[in-house]
Amino acid sequence: MKNLMGLIYTGERDSQLKELTTTRAVAAMPLCGRYRLIDFPLSAMVHSGVRNVGVIMQKNYHSLVDHLGPGKEWDLHGKRSGLVMLPPFMMKENVGVYSGFLDALRSNLHYLRRSKEPYIVITDTHMLFSARFDDMLRSHIESGADITLLYAKNENVRNSGAGRYMVVEKDGRVSGLEVDPAQPSMPCTYLECFLAKRELLIDLVDRAVARGQYHLTRDLLMNGIYSGALNVRGFEHQGLVWQIDSVQAYFECSMDLLNQETRDGLFSQDRPVLTKLRDEMPSRYLSGARVSNSLIADGCVIEGTVENCILFRGVRVGKDAVVRDSIIMQDGQVLEGVEIQNCILDKNATIREHNKLLAPRSFPMVVPKNILI
Amino acid sequence: MLLKKRCVAMLLAGGQGSRLGVLTRNMAKPAVPYGGKYRIIDFPLSNCSNSGIDVVGVLTQYQPLELNAYIASGAPWDLDLVNGGIFVLPPYQTGKSGEWYKGTANAIYQNMPFISQYNPDYVLILSGDHIYKMDYAAMIAHHIAHGADATIAVRQVPWEEASRFGIMNTDENDRIVEFEEKPKNPKSNNASMGVYVFTWEKLRKYLIEDEQNPDSSNDFGKNIIPAMLRDGQVMTAYSFNGYWKDVGTIESLWEANMDLLEDVPEIDLHDKKFRIYARNLGMLPQYIAPTAEVDNCLITEGCRILGKVKHSILSSGAVVEEGAEVLDSVIMPGAVIKAGAKVRRAIVAENAVVESGAKVGEETGLIAVVAQGVTVPDGCYVKAGEQYAQN
Repeated sequence: MKNLMGLIYTGERDSQLKELTTTRAVAAMPLCGRYRLIDFPLSAMVHSGVRNVGVIMQKNYHSLVDHLGPGKEWDLHGKRSGLVMLPPFMMKENVGVYSGFLDALRSNLHYLRRSKEPYIVITDTHMLFSARFDDMLRSHIESGADITLLYAKNENVRNSGAGRYMVVEKDGRVSGLEVDPAQPSMPCTYLECFLAKRELLIDLVDRAVARGQYHLTRDLLMNGIYSGALNVRGFEHQGLVWQIDSVQAYFECSMDLLNQETRDGLFSQDRPVLTKLRDEMPSRYLSGARVSNSLIADGCVIEGTVENCILFRGVRVGKDAVVRDSIIMQDGQVLEGVEIQNCILDKNATIREHNKLLAPRSFPMVVPKNILI
Repeated sequence: MLLKKRCVAMLLAGGQGSRLGVLTRNMAKPAVPYGGKYRIIDFPLSNCSNSGIDVVGVLTQYQPLELNAYIASGAPWDLDLVNGGIFVLPPYQTGKSGEWYKGTANAIYQNMPFISQYNPDYVLILSGDHIYKMDYAAMIAHHIAHGADATIAVRQVPWEEASRFGIMNTDENDRIVEFEEKPKNPKSNNASMGVYVFTWEKLRKYLIEDEQNPDSSNDFGKNIIPAMLRDGQVMTAYSFNGYWKDVGTIESLWEANMDLLEDVPEIDLHDKKFRIYARNLGMLPQYIAPTAEVDNCLITEGCRILGKVKHSILSSGAVVEEGAEVLDSVIMPGAVIKAGAKVRRAIVAENAVVESGAKVGEETGLIAVVAQGVTVPDGCYVKAGEQYAQN
């Protein structure tokens, strides 16, 4: 499909993820043993035929750049197509930190103007779902909408914090939108992903910024809906959605993924989620290992007990160690006799012999990157 | 004109590997899966990559489809280069002539124009028959230091097995004084590993001469090396002491897999400084269910384990259902062991299915094999040493 381009925004919504996002953007959050959040929208775009994807970066984007590289794993390293990284660059009218999504779009208008595809789909990265943007484009063209918003019914959304809600009429028209209400009054959740004609979007962004507006949802979409100036329609995402905006949400989402059916919904056979490869050897289960209901990536060496866990690549679990209901990221080491429950060990954390880290389920403990306990 | 390269590697991957039986029915031996997520050819290719050799010609002839698809651009081994890279070289027609590769030396002879494009000083000849990690750069340095025309990698084998190999008898300076192919009474236990470094100009001359001899079987071991030795060329042996395993038979392929389950395997695949690369599919992490029992196994991405697995290798995407038992076995990519099935001392090839009531292999005796893509039906019993290839 040569008529749709993609744009991924990786900036906001990390305040509740605490230590997990001090050195990485939300988009680079590791998930499900070997993926990062950005793999999901990026792979969905590629499988929908998108060949031109821009990634707007803002703060702490080092791990994101490292992860994406030239885009080989997504087949986005061609001459006529590809992955375009859009880090902030300082200019007179651009001080490096975006005041909002709209501001970020304005800073990258040059890229939008230079692209050739008539349609653009834009998505944030803190929502986890498996999208079909080709279906969304078809619906957008058929409905004659100016802008199509992707939404899910509230009951399909795992949401622990604030959200953006909307009302979709029977004919598909969006008649209401609200941002971060204390009590949502609308039945659908806006997934912070929309599709529009590229030139229309450039025009809208230009005009909004000229009026001093910076908030995409509040200023541009809401105004358009309530004034009737824009024909805004909804496209429903049928599967489950996780809003990864807090440590608890991240933890619960990970635990949900231990369920086979949940996993099947997010990882479809015909549209695999693509990610950076690491050439680890298969995982080794030594005698004495007891593993149950867990997802284990390659390169692990397990000698102890692992129950209801997600182990990323290169994790070691020593003899007589007991790890329950926990997430251990890349190269984490749990040495002999350690006991752990409801913990999230960030990359390369080491728990020395016979330590006990037992947290309550409602408040998982985060052990930051490269920490030795 | 291509840029000059110091060394070009040529990997002989055209052999059928008939001793692997049904496992090489649809694919060349170097494409046979090993160790959960590798194929045999990953070892020489990764060795090249780790040794800084960046032009590799892969000579194919027998059942090349799976191998070609696997190699493709060479990206997994960092061999997708502008200057150099990996090249699949099947036999081809020239003018009125054109023929299959008659032997190992003839295969290189037919590809002399390919090698000459790079005007190399040395040519490294490899095969796709062994599991080993070797720094070829050290071997080339040895070749240069000894002012050799040919260097042959050797490995000490147990004396009682020496008569199965090509044996190199050397003097105190590693210089080869005699070469004996499968001698009855070996004078040394330095076996040729089938890894050669030649000074290109010398090899070129001998390949041309060999081709003109109608009685030659155009083979490195039988013709080229004896001829060079006869003429008094400088030939040295390069001793290699690491893990090296021939995987040319069902039993040895199974053993080489089981070697990875030793407490401390002789071959270290965790080593980040000398990685073995493979084309991997990027599947989901393996899922170990509450009903699973896993003891001393090597399991990789995409596997789903719900049954009992012990002392076994489970490759990408393999599934062991609840109540199934897998013991001392190699389950290749995508194979499914259904609920209640029993697999012992066996190799279950790619995408094969062992149905619920089926049994494969026995606790002792030879290795049982289930061929690629076949289904072992309920009630069927594949005995030790048997190769199941129906439907």
